[in-house]
This record gives sequence, structure tokens and C-alpha cells, in this order.
Amino acid sequence: MAANQSTEWGTVCEKFRLAQELSEIESRKDPENNPFRSKYKARDLLKEIHCSLKKIQIEEEGEADNEEADCESKEVVDGEPENQCGKACSGDSPAGLRAARLAVVQYYLGVNHIETEELSAGEQHLMNCMKLIDKCTTTRENVSLFIQARNQLGILWAGRDEIEKAQGFLEVAESMYLLYMKEDGQPPLDLQDYFVLEGEELSEQEKIRRFEMAYTHTLYYLAQVYKNLQQYERAGQYCHSTLQRQLEYKQFVPLEWAINAATLSQYYITKTRYMEARHCLAAASVIATLAGEIPSEAAAKESDAECEKREELLQKRAEIARCWIKYCLNLLQDAKKLLEDNIGELDLDRQEELQRARRNEEEEKEKGRKSAILFGSSDTFDSICSLEEKVSSMLPLDFEEARGIFLVGQSYVAQAKEYFAMDGHVTDHIEILQDHSALFKVLAFFEQDLERRCKMHKRRVDMLEPICKDLNAQYYLLICRQLQFELAETYYEMMDLKLAVADKQDQPDVHTIKKFNHLCSSSMKYYQMFLDSIRSPEGKFPEKLEDDLLRPALVAKFRVARLQSKLISNNLPTQLENLSHSLESYNFVVQYCEENPEAKIAVETELELSMEMVSLLPLKINRIRSKMASCN
Amino acid sequence: MQLAQPRTWPLTTLRGPTVGFRQPGAALLGVIGSLLRIQMLSQTRCKHAETCCDSDKHGSELLEGCSEAQLMCVILCQTDFGSSCVSVEIEGFNMSMKAKNGEAVKVVVRCRPLNRKEESMGYENILQMDVKLGQVALRNPKAGPGELLKTFTFDAVYDACSKQSDLYDETVRPLIDSVLRGFNGTIFAYGQTGTGKTYTMQGQWLDAERRGIIPNSFEHIFTHISRSQNQQYLVRASYLEIYQEEIRDLLTKDHSKKLELKESADSGVYIKDLSSFVTKNVKEIEHVMNVGNQTRSVGFTNMNEHSSRSHAIFIITVECSQLGPDGQNHIRVGKLNLVDLAGSERQTKTGVQGERLKEATKINLSLSALGNVISALVDGRSSHVPYRDSKLTRLLQDSLGGNAKTIMVATLGPASYNYEETLTTLRYANRAKNIKNKPRVNEDPKDALLREFQEEIARLKAQLDKRGMLTKRKRRSRRLRKIGEGGEVEEGEEDDVEDDEEEESVEKEAQEYMKEQQEKLEREKEAIRDDHSLVAEEKQRLLEEKERMMRHLKKEQEATELLTAKFKIDKRTYRQKDRQMDR
Repeated sequence: MAANQSTEWGTVCEKFRLAQELSEIESRKDPENNPFRSKYKARDLLKEIHCSLKKIQIEEEGEADNEEADCESKEVVDGEPENQCGKACSGDSPAGLRAARLAVVQYYLGVNHIETEELSAGEQHLMNCMKLIDKCTTTRENVSLFIQARNQLGILWAGRDEIEKAQGFLEVAESMYLLYMKEDGQPPLDLQDYFVLEGEELSEQEKIRRFEMAYTHTLYYLAQVYKNLQQYERAGQYCHSTLQRQLEYKQFVPLEWAINAATLSQYYITKTRYMEARHCLAAASVIATLAGEIPSEAAAKESDAECEKREELLQKRAEIARCWIKYCLNLLQDAKKLLEDNIGELDLDRQEELQRARRNEEEEKEKGRKSAILFGSSDTFDSICSLEEKVSSMLPLDFEEARGIFLVGQSYVAQAKEYFAMDGHVTDHIEILQDHSALFKVLAFFEQDLERRCKMHKRRVDMLEPICKDLNAQYYLLICRQLQFELAETYYEMMDLKLAVADKQDQPDVHTIKKFNHLCSSSMKYYQMFLDSIRSPEGKFPEKLEDDLLRPALVAKFRVARLQSKLISNNLPTQLENLSHSLESYNFVVQYCEENPEAKIAVETELELSMEMVSLLPLKINRIRSKMASCN
Repeated sequence: MQLAQPRTWPLTTLRGPTVGFRQPGAALLGVIGSLLRIQMLSQTRCKHAETCCDSDKHGSELLEGCSEAQLMCVILCQTDFGSSCVSVEIEGFNMSMKAKNGEAVKVVVRCRPLNRKEESMGYENILQMDVKLGQVALRNPKAGPGELLKTFTFDAVYDACSKQSDLYDETVRPLIDSVLRGFNGTIFAYGQTGTGKTYTMQGQWLDAERRGIIPNSFEHIFTHISRSQNQQYLVRASYLEIYQEEIRDLLTKDHSKKLELKESADSGVYIKDLSSFVTKNVKEIEHVMNVGNQTRSVGFTNMNEHSSRSHAIFIITVECSQLGPDGQNHIRVGKLNLVDLAGSERQTKTGVQGERLKEATKINLSLSALGNVISALVDGRSSHVPYRDSKLTRLLQDSLGGNAKTIMVATLGPASYNYEETLTTLRYANRAKNIKNKPRVNEDPKDALLREFQEEIARLKAQLDKRGMLTKRKRRSRRLRKIGEGGEVEEGEEDDVEDDEEEESVEKEAQEYMKEQQEKLEREKEAIRDDHSLVAEEKQRLLEEKERMMRHLKKEQEATELLTAKFKIDKRTYRQKDRQMDR
């Protein structure tokens, strides 16, 4: 191209460079009252370039009188009706290149108009750009422009609430990329390459990087499109691809990427896709370390920047640890759901059945799935894999397997708690403790030995009880209630276990009885605290419970009733007192449901039992009374 | 705690600089958003980031810019209540923060009249307001004749003829009353610039009719206090701003210091080292606000941009102590947050393009918002979403969906060219209606300062009472004065005045005593002044008492001097008389 060498071409290139600079750098300094000053300047330059190109084009057409001129002459003026000539010329022919160069200017004009809130004009320019290149076959000269123009149009239409239209543009861009990579795959020309003097072209590597990033954006926009269309699975898949490509083309901020991957793992967890979740988490942990060493405490004291860096690194790592905790917890809980029988105990038949099934298929199936989701950058791949190997992604089927997952979870609990300390991070700290307690709870399910199971629950009590005492209910009412309820339940479970153990003995000794009564009263105490938290400041229990408290409150009352009747005593008056209290509580449940019939559905079983107890307990009470009378 | 010392502040006009309450907020949605678990998207400069994604020199720089936009938030279509609440599964039942029967956030909108310029340019009024029904109908100026109006219903609507007092009396007054009763209350203001937000919030301070919510609530609080009986009040004010996720105190000299948001088991969410000023009257609290407004405006060269992108929160804490029927003092603490939200309109320059930013279906251009897309996919129940809520959300978590009463005031412009912004504002406001609060009286919180103060006062009173001697002496000097004035000696108990020697010693003693007392009082006065933890009014009273006593002492001294002189003469005459009598 002779024109390229001329001074005129040099001016064009310079103008282009200036327009880019104005649009991207200068524009950030524009004053509030004239926010688009630089953008408008850039636009004027682009328009000038457009004119120059037209001029050059006519000149060149004059010079080179070949058959392509026929095609060019018809496509020139903006908005003029086009001749439907199909793919008239090859993308790499001189005519194709001329068209592409004009199209690039149209593209930038389009983007410029969109940025300055002139959407219709922007759309027009982008469509002009599309028309110009649509006439040519797709080649390495115009494929990048092709994709980027469609990205822009996708965004534009999504902005107009026309998601399907946006989807159309973006999906075409996606398939265009795939086709090009399949058929050609050479580093394509970047948009800027059209306006540089010879010798100043981008390196092959840079060309690839830019092209791949354009496609990464296509996928990212598609992820949003699918999310907006509520196709969450596809959206998740495209988010995953975006992350993969960011890593592959090294276009990422380590901490940001790590947090995104950790979040994606939480999506997979809710879909019970643990293999994918684990891969995301392992990658998150590994990539987070790329963000650098954590500055020491001493260094943090020296400078604010170090202090901030330390804070950020510690926080993000703790966040990732918390995602790991959820992984372990959900994995265990999902396994429990599979293995439990109708009273929440381990179903041994089911266990055996699942163990047999697993040996046969699961592993094969996972291998196929895995290759699609790998985060493969060669330098981190090994570390990611070795981290993955530390914890299973299969549902645990026995205590040993469960214990392995539990221990990993527990180590992440310790890690997360280090940053999210009670002092300063109350809510986070307690959430972590609640997860820790839940880990023990689900591990206890797998434990067959009742004494040891009881000890696991004791651990839960030990970690939650002090927190529950310290917390100011005025600011943490909800958490207080959660803790009270959980503690009450835990003591209840321990009491049940002690009872089961005692049943095996012929005659429970005094110590066991004492222990048992203690567990009963502790459980009652926390249920009562929970119930008291519902009272008004004047101490009145509400006549009508709020929806979200209805079941918890009635269940608590019901449990209190049961616990009161369970207390063991040789003393008849004490027995009488306990039973009367119990009756009172059962009566409360029954009466509440009579007065508020809508509550019945919420506590069906409990109500049924309560009604029964209300009719039975008076008999028992009378028996004790007569016994007492006969004794006297 | 610091004592309000208005004298040291630069004198400002009563009407603060307009920075105080300006510009509406996309950020509001950050707050609402995270409660409804509406997705937050950061979009600042994303347009740039997109267009220059192929130039890595600016790329990273621009991407950095994106993260700063975390405070600019957008509502996305997914509203997942579960994940936003701290919740626990209890036998399959979810106990969570969502308060179904709680009190909804009260949302009111106000429309200003067309201004003269708009009238002269021939803009149409596209808003119809039905004050009785609380409805606003918006007409799309570009719509064809058959198109329906967009109608929204709110707790109250205030049309162009509404007065400041209408809004205050109907909507704000009840909230301030509950703050005085110990509830937490929050007033959010938002609306496009030029729709009268500043007028609604501040108004014209000097004109009683045009005073806005803020001066009216100041007046309200202190009038209530002055009229109350058997109650003691302590009013403190703090003023802070959140800019680019950094909290700064507007009432300290070192405005650049970043403050930390912390939580403690005892006192919930708090800002470490935030200063607060005790204010005793309207004037003082106005001063506090003015000083804060000034700090806010001087710190930045590009003041407009700064203030339109920062949130300002003025916090008034009202502690009230009252003797209960149980004979114990009960302290209630109410807190009023006046929140001026950062604006969203005209952010195009930074890539946050007003309308575009707010729509659920819009696409985020910058990859730095990938996290938002991913977290939107996560169902929060059993998972951890590792994104922190914005500082504003965390700070006001009590106010939104928590233990508080909340009002949102949205201001609208009626002119046709405002259509897009007005629609957006109305949509925001409409969403805010869905947030429910559970207000609870803050009874006897552990950190109530007032109790501390009461003890302090009791101690001081005891100290004053110990000045028994003082009162005795006073009585004596009064008697002495009577002698002087009357020129006659009345029958008295001054048997100590016997002879010259005694006289002299009395005189000396009196002088010493006076000196001692004066020093003592001076010391006490200093101590009171330095004592930062004193209920303001009580303190003032004590100071005045001291002052009075010192004046007294001085008079006493003068009188004594005068009298002792006279007394000597008198006594001499006495003795002469006596001698004469003896003779």
C-alpha cells in the first residue's frame, strides 16, 4: 500500500493515536460540567480520519482499476442502502482491508457515541461497521473487529432490556471465534494495527493477548446475559470459562481472581458438584498466594501501605478458608442426608448399598467431567492438584471418611478464626463458630460409639456457651437466639445420648442421674432464655408470635415440657412439681394453637403429642398425689 | 468524648454550605441492595476498561478505578432474601433477620414545582400526584397518546404546594418522637440534584416556614428536652462521611485519618475513634453540623465531585434517664441517623452512567465485576459469599432491616426532561418499601453514658454539700453586712468577736479562708471544665453555680474588708461607749 508510506498516512496514524489517548486518558480529567470534552475531541478526530480514508480510497480506486473497485464504490456513504452482494471480497484483499479500516473507524465512532450517551448514533456506527465487514470473508484481518463490534452491540442491546437481542450478537461472536480458531488460528490483526506506521505493529504475542481478551469479554458478557435470562447453570459455566481464560492469558488480579473462584465454588456446592467446587477452592488458595507475602506485623506498623496490604491479604485468605469450611460442611451434611434413616440415625443397609455403587461408577464419571473445568496454567497446576488431594470430593460413607473431611474443615476453622477474631469481627467470628459446631454435629452422626458422640456435642457446648453469655442481645438479638436454641438442642441431644447409655445399664447410678438431670436443666435453661428473648420489654409474652418465631417458640415450649417431665427424682413432691410444670407447658402449646389455628400446620406433630400429654399427665399427677396421700 | 466548644470553631453562617446534603444515591441501593440481597455491581469506569482492555498500560489503572466504585451499586433482578440474613436452620425452619411483621421502611416522595426557567422553556409537567391516595403517576413524554401512566404508591406523597411543615409534621415528627423515646431512627434523603433535596433536608435555616427536616428536628429534640420533667437528657452529635469505602470523621482536625468499622460483643457495630460532641441546644448542634460541612468542603479541591460521591451521616444520640416505678434510673438511648447519600446521576464521566447503571438487565463491561455475576448465582443458604457489605450497609445495618425506624425521602423534578431520572428514583423508592424493620426500645444499654454522668453529678453534689463551712460563713457575712448597712449592732451570736486580738485573727482567718475558697472554687471550676464526661446541662449549671459562688466570695471579701474596717471603728466606739458606761 503506497499510501501508507505517505505523509498523509502518517497524519492519519497520528490523529488516530491522539484520538485514542483523548478518549482513554485525557477524558478522565474532564471537568464535571463538561464531562465529555475529550471524548468529543476524539470524535472530531475520528471523523477527520474517516474523511481522509474516503479520500485515500478514491485515490487508490483511481490507481488500481481492478474488479474490486466495483464492490467498494457501493459501500461508501453512511446510511446509504447497501447492495446485497454477499461476501463480495476476501477479508485480506486490498478492498477487504480498505473496508476493514473504515469499519474500525466506524467502530470507534460507535463506541464514542455510546460513551457520550448517544446510543442510537452509536448503534448506527456499529451497524455501519458490521455492514462493511460482513461483506468480506472472515480472515485474521477482521476477525477481532468482528468480535468486538458484536460485543459492543450485545452490551448496547442488553442496556435496552433486550436481552435476547444481545444474546444473538454475543453468541454469533462466540461461534465466530470458535470457527476462526478451528480453521485458521493465526494471531489476528488488532484494531490498532490498522493505524500504525510500518514497523510499529504490535507483537504477535500482544495481538494474541488482545484477541483472546476480546473473546474472554464475549464469554463474560454471555455469562451476564444467561444470568439475566435466569439460566444459572449456563451462566455458571460461562463464569467458569471466564476465570479459566483470565488465568490462561494472565489477565487477572490474584486476590480478585481467587475470591471469584472461591465464590464460584459456593455455587457448585449448592448444586452438589463437589469435584468442581474443590477444584475452584484449591485454585483460589493457590492463586491467592500469588498476591505476595503477607507483610509482617512489624512492617505493617511502619507503613500504612503495608498495613493495608497485610489486612487485605489476611482477610481474603480467611474468606477463602470460610469457603473451604462450607465445602467440608456441605459435603458431610449431604452425605448424612443420603445415609440417615427416618429417625436421623445411620442406615447401615443404605451405607453398604452406596459403598458398593460407588466402587463401580463414580470415579469414571468424574474423570470426564474434570477435564472440562481444569484451571490450567502450567506453573500453578501442580500446586492446585496437590491441594485438591488433601480432601475428598466424594460424599463420605463411613466415619473414617467423614473424619478426614471434618479435620480439613476444622483446620480451616482455625485459619479463618485467626483473622475473624471475636474482638472486632463479632458476627463473622460467631458464624465461623456456628460452622465449627455444625461440623461436630454432622461428624457425631457418623460416630457409632454413644459416649464419644456425646463428647462431640460437649465440644459444641464448650465453644458456644461462653459466646452466648458475652453477647449483648440488644445488638445481636438474632444471633443470641440462634445460639440459645442451638445450645438447648445440643444439651437435649446429650441428654438423649445419656439416656440411651443409661438404658443399657440395669440401674443407673447416682452420678449418672445427676448428670442426666443437669443436662435436662441446662437444655431447659437455654430454651427458656430463648423464649424470654421473645418477651416484650415489660416481660409480656406476645399473644401472637411472628411468623419466623412461631415454630421455634412452640418447639421450645414443647421441648421444655418434655424435659420437665423427664427430670428424675425420688422425691414425690418434686416429681409432682415437675409434672405440673410440664403440663403447664404442654397446655401452652395446645392453647396457643387453639387461639391461633394457623399455627397448627407449623407444629403438627408437636401439637398432637402435646394434646395427648395434656390428657395423660393429669392422671399421672393424680397417681402421685394419691401415693403422697397414702404415704402420709 | 469531647465537650462542645463552639467558641473555638470558625464562625459560620447558620445555613451551612450546601455540601451537607446534596445529590441522590445509587448508593442507597447498596444499602437496600444488600438487604434484599440485590446484587451490587461496581461499574465505575467500566466503559473505559472495556474499550481499552487491549491496552494494558491503562488497563490495570482503569481496573483499579473499578473497584473504587464498590459503593456505587445496582439492583439486579435476583432478590434472594435468605442469603442476606444471618440465619440458622432449626428443624428446617429458617429463623432470620427478615421481619415479616416488622415495620416497613416509610417511603415518601416529594416533588418540587416547575421552576421559572423550566416554565419559560416550555417544559411540561409529567408528574401527577394524588396526595390523598399517596400516589404518583409519571407520564413518559415520548410515549404515544394511548400509553398508560406509570403509577407508584407510597406512604405519603408531597406535591408542589406542600409546605416544609407538612412533611415534617406528618412524616418526620413521629420518627423523632420515637428517637426521643429510645428507638433508633434513620432518615435517608435521595433524589437527583436540582429536585429540592437540599431544600427538603436543610431548607432555609433562618426562615421558620422554610426550615427543612434537619433544623426542624434539632428544634424538635431540644424543645422536647426543655419541656420534659423528671427526665435528664444527654445529646451527642457525630458527623462522618464515607468516600470510596473509607470512613472519615468530619469533626476532627485530622480529616484525613481513616477510621475503622468494628464490632464488639458488647456494643455492636461501632466506628473506632469517632468523635462525638455534647450539645446543649440548637445552636450548638447547628455548629457541629456547620463545622462538619466545612471540613467536608475544604478537604477537597474538586468539592462537587467529592460530595456527590460520598455519603454523609450525621448521628445524633439522645440519652434519656428517668426514674422508674422501681426507684431505679432507667436509661434509654435513641439514635438518629441523617443520611445524605452519594449521587449517581451525571457519573457518565467515570463510566457510571446514570440510567444504565441502575437497570437490572444491564451488562457489566468490566471484568472486575465478574464477582458480582458469580455471587448472584450463589444461593446463600448453606454457603459463604466472600464479599463484604459496603461500609454504609454495615454501619446502618441496625437501621435497615434491623432495630430501627426508617424514613426515605425521595425528591423528584416534575419537568419532562427529568423523566428518566424521575422514573429511576421512583423505582428505587418503590423497592425500599419492601424492607421491613423491627424497632425495639433500647433500654438500659451497657454503654449508656448518662448513667456514668449521673454518678459523676451525684459525687459533685456531695462535694458541694460538704462545703458546709462555706454556708455558715456566708451566713455570718450576711449578718456582718446587715451591721454595716444598718449601722446598728443587732443582737447576734457573734460571741467570737470579743477583743482586738480575736478581731485580728478573725480578719486573718477570713482572708485566708477567702483565698482558700477562691482557689478551691477556681480548681473546681477547672475540673468541671476539663471533665469531659459530664452531662452538658448539669455541667453548665455547676459551672454557673461555681461562678456565682466565686462572685459571692468576692463580694463577701469586699464586704468583709469593708466591714472589718468599720467593725474596728465600731468596736472602738463600742469600747469607748463601754468605758463611758463604766465610768
